Amino acid sequence: MITYLDVIRGIHTGRICSERDFDLKTFAPKLRELLKAHDIKYDPENPVPADDGLADDLWKAAKDFYCDVGTYCLDTERIVQFDENEIAQTLKTAPREFTFGEGKQRKLLTQRRPEDRTPPWCFLGAGGAAVSSEENLLRLVQGYASIPVINSLTSPALTTVDGMRIVGGSPLEIYGAIRAVGLARQALSRAGKPGLPIMNCISTASSAIATIAASQPQFGLRPSDGWLCGTLAEMKVDYGVLSKGAYLLSWGANVCSETAPVLGGYAGGPEGTALVNAAYSILGTVIQKASYQLSFPIHSNFQCNTARNTLWAISLSGQGIARNASLPVFMLGYMASGPMTEMVLYETAAWVIAAVASGTHIEAEGVCKATHVDHFTPMEPGFAAEVAYAATGIKRSFANELVKTLLSKYEDKIKDAPIGKRFGECYDMTTGKPSEDYLRLYSKIKKELEDMGLEFKY
Amino acid sequence: MPQKQDVLERLRSSVINGDEGAVRLATHEAIDSSIDPIEIVEKGLIPGMAEVGAKFERMEAYLTDMMMSADAMKAGMSIVLAKIPGEKIRRQGTVVLGTVKGDIHEIGKNILSALLTAAGFDVLDVGCDVPASAFVEKAEEVGAIIIGASALMTTTLPGQKDIVDYLNSTGKRGKYSLLVGGGPTTPQWAKEIGAEGYAETATDGVKLALRELEKERRK
Repeated sequence: MITYLDVIRGIHTGRICSERDFDLKTFAPKLRELLKAHDIKYDPENPVPADDGLADDLWKAAKDFYCDVGTYCLDTERIVQFDENEIAQTLKTAPREFTFGEGKQRKLLTQRRPEDRTPPWCFLGAGGAAVSSEENLLRLVQGYASIPVINSLTSPALTTVDGMRIVGGSPLEIYGAIRAVGLARQALSRAGKPGLPIMNCISTASSAIATIAASQPQFGLRPSDGWLCGTLAEMKVDYGVLSKGAYLLSWGANVCSETAPVLGGYAGGPEGTALVNAAYSILGTVIQKASYQLSFPIHSNFQCNTARNTLWAISLSGQGIARNASLPVFMLGYMASGPMTEMVLYETAAWVIAAVASGTHIEAEGVCKATHVDHFTPMEPGFAAEVAYAATGIKRSFANELVKTLLSKYEDKIKDAPIGKRFGECYDMTTGKPSEDYLRLYSKIKKELEDMGLEFKY
Repeated sequence: MPQKQDVLERLRSSVINGDEGAVRLATHEAIDSSIDPIEIVEKGLIPGMAEVGAKFERMEAYLTDMMMSADAMKAGMSIVLAKIPGEKIRRQGTVVLGTVKGDIHEIGKNILSALLTAAGFDVLDVGCDVPASAFVEKAEEVGAIIIGASALMTTTLPGQKDIVDYLNSTGKRGKYSLLVGGGPTTPQWAKEIGAEGYAETATDGVKLALRELEKERRK
């Protein structure tokens, strides 16, 4: 079995290669070759394909791709590769169950399957988006934690410390990360869920040093939380990612392989994006020793993943991973539109239905592309969770029809999506409750989904 | 002697196909056929690259296609420039592009770099994790008109403001247009720091660069 130290040895002894040569002479030609050999083709009429053979073909192609291409280390300019048998053995013997949280909120995470009757793990919150104040972070996290079926939190990121904008690599980043952790724990306590795991540690920290510093137990995090260790586009790591891993694995903490293949970038179109996304599952197990994969394929032009071709890539790769890998996979949705708009609820429903029917868990969600400060509320992930439970157990063919209907309501508006309202404009900041207008909007869209045949469980 | 149109068409296609070897061959053939070097550039190399840029916008071509075509075009260009002075080739202008200090994300920047090349700009990519001074020093060195700065994280956004501050402190603010982009960047942030423009997508970035070029030409 490949150990983490084998990986570290590999990044220092692997084949030397410039980044550009890796991208253009190793990655791209192999991707093109395998997509052709396995005849993986995007079908816009079926954004949620129901073809187990295609999903398994994609996985085979992803395995071949990973074995051939390996993982590139930016700091050493070397490719770390292992042979097919070592990779196969590592995948076969990798753990399949992972525990998160404490006390009443402690829960086991395992892989789902397409059309699974078990509800997905609901990893809910801001998708790491930024808040303008500590008060907003507290109110938002308390709101997320109050969602009945939440299994873990995705916490917002602070942008300032005592009025000073947080700068990556500076002491402010460390202060900001420590504060954000403490505030999130405090808010979870207020909601009566002190044991709820935070699975996007640490959203306020971008550097390894700030992540490791703020992860010290005295600030509030525990090994049963989960840490995002982001790969770089595409199939790349660096000392920062691997250093976080070295620390976290030594502590017995949960590492997340965070992967975001760019549709339009090195991964090419939807077919390449789906294949690369599946290959990341293998990288996550072999290289990062992850407990979960967090995947968010992103459209290079739209900066969201609710466009038709991105949904297809999410669905097909989700199915390939769910049917073949042991590493539990989450899909994270990024909406183009913002709170208090019909569009954000349509987009939410579309990606959640696609992801859940395809066998993945969900992280909900990045709203307004997660670029506008304070433009997100507990309503969107709360609605996502309701849709996720409603979509549990439905056939992919039914999911496909639902998603196509939803796409017809928003896909031509993606480019100029409305940014909607700020948190304080559609929520009561004293009570933490949504405005009457937002509740009416939510009820209207929920009724529309019910009329389409989706049966809400609550 | 091959027909001029055939040679130029072969050159254009070779750029579109990202075939550096074929571009070199076709460029030499064009020169040996006494085709005006300016025509080789303006009717062969540049249209080929422009077509790849248009295909990207239609999502018929992707980043690696553009990078290979850009490399192929540059290979042809270097052969032509050895024959004639660079000033005779009409280029849009020079852009210095990079990802700010503390940030190593670069895929969006790379897409923009390829699209700017397709649009006729000369692009100097200073890479990622680049301090403010390095953007400005490179811009000074190459006579750029535009500095493009990308940031993908809220914690690295301040790097874009650092460039504005550096330009102000060295008295060079008026020399360059600063365009900003990347995930957490917004129009409000661009206005706050005094950048000339904000681009949500690489395509928007090209439009902004052309706008700034036009402003520069009117000065």
